[in-house]
Amino acid sequence: MIRYIASRLLLAIPTVLAVLTLVFFVVRVIPGDPATAALGDYASQEAVEALREKMGLNDPLYVQYFRFLSDLLRGDLGTSMITGKEISDLVRQVLPYTLELTITAIFIGTILGVPLGIYTARHVNTSIDYIGRVVSLAGLSVPAFYLGILIMLTFAYKIPIFPAVGGGDLTDLNSNLRHLVLPAMTLGLIMTASVTRLTRSAMLNVLKDDYVRTARAKGLSERIVVLRHALRAALVPIVSIIGVWAASLVADSVLTETVFARPGLGKMLVSAIMQRDYTLLQSVMVIYALFVVGINLITDIIYSFVDPRITH
Amino acid sequence: MKDKFDEAIETQIVDATEAPVVRLRSQRKRLFRTFIRNRPAILGVILMLLVVFMALFADDWFIAVFQGRDPQPLLAPYDPLEQDTANRLAPPSREHWMGLDSYGRDMLSRIIYGSRVSLLVGIVSVIIGGVIGALMGLMGGYLGGKTENVLMRAADILMAFPSLIMGLMVLAVLGGGLFNMILAIGIVLAPTFARVAHSSTLSVKQNEYVEAARSIGASNFRIARLHVLPNIVSELVVLASIWIASAIRVEANLSFIGLGVSPPTPAWGSMIRDGTKYLFQAPWVSLFPGLAILITVLAFNLLGDGLRDVLDPKLQN
Amino acid sequence: MKRFVLLGSILLLLLFALAACAQATPGAPAEEPPAAQPTEKPAEPTEKPAEPTEAPPEPSEPMVLRYADKAADLGTMDPHFAAATNDRNLVDMIFNALVRYKPGDGSTFEPDLAVSLPEPEVVDGKQVWTFELRKGVMCQETKETPAYELTSEDVVYSLQKSANPDTSAYAGEYNGMTVEALDDYTVKITLEQPISPILFFPKVADYAGGFIICKQHYENVGAEGFKTNPAGTGPFKFESYTPQDKVVLVANDAYFRGRPKLDRVEYRFMPELNSRELGLKSGDLDVINGQNESDWVKRMDQEEGISVDVYGVGEVATIHFNTSVKPLDDVRVRKAIAYALDRDEFLALFGGPPVAEKVYSAVPAKFLPGGLTKEEVEELGLDYARDLEKAKQLLAEAGYPDGFSLEVVSSERESYLKPYTSMQAQLAKIGIDIKITTVDHSSMHKLIRQDVNPIVVYVAWRPNADVYLTRFYHSDSIVVTGAKPDTNFSHYAGIDDLIEAARVEQDADKQVQMWKDAQIKLLEEMISYPILYMNQVTARHDYVDYGHELKSVLALYPQIDETTTINK
Repeated sequence: MIRYIASRLLLAIPTVLAVLTLVFFVVRVIPGDPATAALGDYASQEAVEALREKMGLNDPLYVQYFRFLSDLLRGDLGTSMITGKEISDLVRQVLPYTLELTITAIFIGTILGVPLGIYTARHVNTSIDYIGRVVSLAGLSVPAFYLGILIMLTFAYKIPIFPAVGGGDLTDLNSNLRHLVLPAMTLGLIMTASVTRLTRSAMLNVLKDDYVRTARAKGLSERIVVLRHALRAALVPIVSIIGVWAASLVADSVLTETVFARPGLGKMLVSAIMQRDYTLLQSVMVIYALFVVGINLITDIIYSFVDPRITH
Repeated sequence: MKDKFDEAIETQIVDATEAPVVRLRSQRKRLFRTFIRNRPAILGVILMLLVVFMALFADDWFIAVFQGRDPQPLLAPYDPLEQDTANRLAPPSREHWMGLDSYGRDMLSRIIYGSRVSLLVGIVSVIIGGVIGALMGLMGGYLGGKTENVLMRAADILMAFPSLIMGLMVLAVLGGGLFNMILAIGIVLAPTFARVAHSSTLSVKQNEYVEAARSIGASNFRIARLHVLPNIVSELVVLASIWIASAIRVEANLSFIGLGVSPPTPAWGSMIRDGTKYLFQAPWVSLFPGLAILITVLAFNLLGDGLRDVLDPKLQN
Repeated sequence: MKRFVLLGSILLLLLFALAACAQATPGAPAEEPPAAQPTEKPAEPTEKPAEPTEAPPEPSEPMVLRYADKAADLGTMDPHFAAATNDRNLVDMIFNALVRYKPGDGSTFEPDLAVSLPEPEVVDGKQVWTFELRKGVMCQETKETPAYELTSEDVVYSLQKSANPDTSAYAGEYNGMTVEALDDYTVKITLEQPISPILFFPKVADYAGGFIICKQHYENVGAEGFKTNPAGTGPFKFESYTPQDKVVLVANDAYFRGRPKLDRVEYRFMPELNSRELGLKSGDLDVINGQNESDWVKRMDQEEGISVDVYGVGEVATIHFNTSVKPLDDVRVRKAIAYALDRDEFLALFGGPPVAEKVYSAVPAKFLPGGLTKEEVEELGLDYARDLEKAKQLLAEAGYPDGFSLEVVSSERESYLKPYTSMQAQLAKIGIDIKITTVDHSSMHKLIRQDVNPIVVYVAWRPNADVYLTRFYHSDSIVVTGAKPDTNFSHYAGIDDLIEAARVEQDADKQVQMWKDAQIKLLEEMISYPILYMNQVTARHDYVDYGHELKSVLALYPQIDETTTINK
């Protein structure tokens, strides 16, 4: 197992490098550059040229590329081309918001989605199953944005129990948690929908399996049959979909972050693209790629815990 | 820790090695009958046909093409591009069942016309992503070793690109256009299929019947196709039906960076995007395209569930 | 079961490790202030500069104004680089200039750091402006720099920084200008080429390059540091910045016009309109940047306890025709387009007045001298009122009886997409087929400067007629091929002499007449079609009192200053 983890960590290097290289060249191909974006349309041409020079954008591409790589190897993420702030600082300030939101949302999605999936699978083709399916489909169809506004309207305006805006103060646990509830609920509910669907399907698969029948025949209680036998066999795909969600939530919670005006890594990524902040985009992508690699590694390890027959 | 779970699996092996792999024509008929008896699945088919019908007959292109003129609206009550700016954001009324959008265009007509782009994006991009991803996951999980490392790390790389950046990459390399957008969404979805297919394959290939098939000299391709794929396909179908709604919505985010269709061509995702600016003032502008997506997703999912049951190898004997 | 316990603990450990990495990185000085508590500081009745006779303020709740802007994040607080609306808003609260636009009224100049508005003198053919500075103006105290009195040294340093393309985005405005300190409180500005006050004052006013920064602090924190850690002499000073979240400003106790009534301003970044609206209604916010639509204004105005202000300056949307490409090189085609367009159609997409109003010349007459009014244009017969028959006839004369098609790119932003889409629908009626591709805002700005659009819609505010005309219509400014490529999208070179003559004209009336003549030529040849200007829209709770009336503000927000207060 340790050898497996070590080899996967080694493989992370070419993976991240590939992501990086792609991002590096692509952002330079799309029109627009950070100098123009930073100075606005009223700026004089000389100022734009001067800033391009200062940003090193006039150097040959390979020079810029290797400069970026060597900085990165020294652990230097560089400074934002727009605000001039250390990117490591920016990330350090934003990451806690992203992590708490992602973790809470996954928690909600799992804790609601898996039991609901099991329940609807056990009552397949009953009215409860139909209602459950339609509700979870509605969850899939509602944009995060819509649900977010709706939740905000209800719990911050009509029944004002939670704050409407901002991410809260990280040093103040109470304020921080109060600001976390509504956005986490938004993402969690959306995730619940797809986890429910996948769990239901995976459970249906195994509930019909012979060994479940065998277990039943042995006279084991239904509860034990479902939870110990069926669920374990169905768990592998469920874990993989949760892993997929975990990875995508880190970057794709932009809409929710925007609605609740929370800082977040995903938002940072989007505004880096929009402002052509090359260095910020590259560095945030490095961090995000590390997340994806890490989350996928963790889920791969979990497989062999869930289904002991899977060995790495 | 040899528990009931392992025991149960051993029990399963005995039957599974005898699992029939040859499909007979009479069996197909039986499958069809299973499907027909599944009432939700039939509802799914009906809804699906409805949406497809809407897309096909929004205007009379099939006549116009022979007469060499511009198509006229057929199912749609109005021209979806005609602006009545004086009455913009008008609520639903007898003349305009779904009201008017922010440019004063008839919402119902735009929903009907919009089904074309949205259906195409929803279905084709998920198929692209599903096929690429399933192949990656299946091959990686089944073959293991170097192949697995290469394919699954490739999936990691793709997964590290949020849709917006992937869209920009496709735009930079291939240029704009509807198909390139569909491709971009497909690529974004592929790694999620790959991850799920991979995990399920890992699980399935441990089953003795796979071992057994290998021991009698079946080729890898044959085993993957006949023993592994049918056992993982149900998860993939569910996943596909999950991503359709996302694909339709992502279209809006990509068309605004210049990939895909341009305004004023209607598409549901972009309509929601426009409508959200008037959420409190004219909720119908975003509500109706949202409902259109819901109905389409419902159709696909009911259909998907029906297919799932049919494709389930355990129901085949 | 053991396996699961083990797994669970590994996962938990990993999560904690991640969270710890994210939070516990040591160091990082400036930002992340010892937050939360500094609110009390300004409220303490210990400040020295205020008149001691005044009763010490009650140690009540600090008075905080919570403002939400539509920007996603901060750009820079270096005033000589501030270009985005949010950046301009913030620097307006932190800095002063030699002269200023009257708060809430951008049509009048008044002294700011200077004691009075000087009259120019001509010495050896050069124009000299001598400013006498106020005494006792203090540079804001910061962690890096103690408070100190602002002198001519800071003013000279600041204006020289503005003139340097390495340290300012607006260097072009300061060509041919020398600045020197005669003594601690006197600054002499010499211009190679004499210009009228209407063109000179904007260069030293509280807009763009005119802001005066504190030299010592700038040198202490460096050019990069200053962007997120600024110091000036204004009513509010910078306290903290949280990325994508907010900038907090606190009252400058030593402000020379008196201590601000507000203790604190929280400036939030909230790009989502619906969230801002809910935040305002729920009482989490006091003032928000609204939607540029009159329907929104009406609806919000009806909310109890909420008022909406609509005010200038308005950004002008203009259609520029590339006169160097077929078929737009034919004046008949351009006129045909003009006759096919109706400003009411464009206006309707913004809900009509008061948010959007019609404009008849390149320079908006409502805000700037030198623009043409509706009456003037009608009298000359250059109003191009919609006449589809005439449009079709002109097209036919030009050899396009069935119209033609064009491809353009548009920004994804509403202010661009609406005019483009409306134009598309209107021109379709005379057979002109326009294909629009939306791209993101930065891409559009780059692409139109590479001349990809035969028709360019451009939305802009410029501080005076000279800048408008020079940058959009002088031959030097022609995109790609001009001597100083800028935003002359029409490739037009017909009014260079008028622009240059007006620039040096000392007689205000004659100057205005030249500007008008230049724009009449533009209309006669239909070089560009001015559509509308869009006003600023902000909504506030009734308890917010800005302290001045809102007519027009160049800083593009209601202007929060020492007089702004909250009457709860």
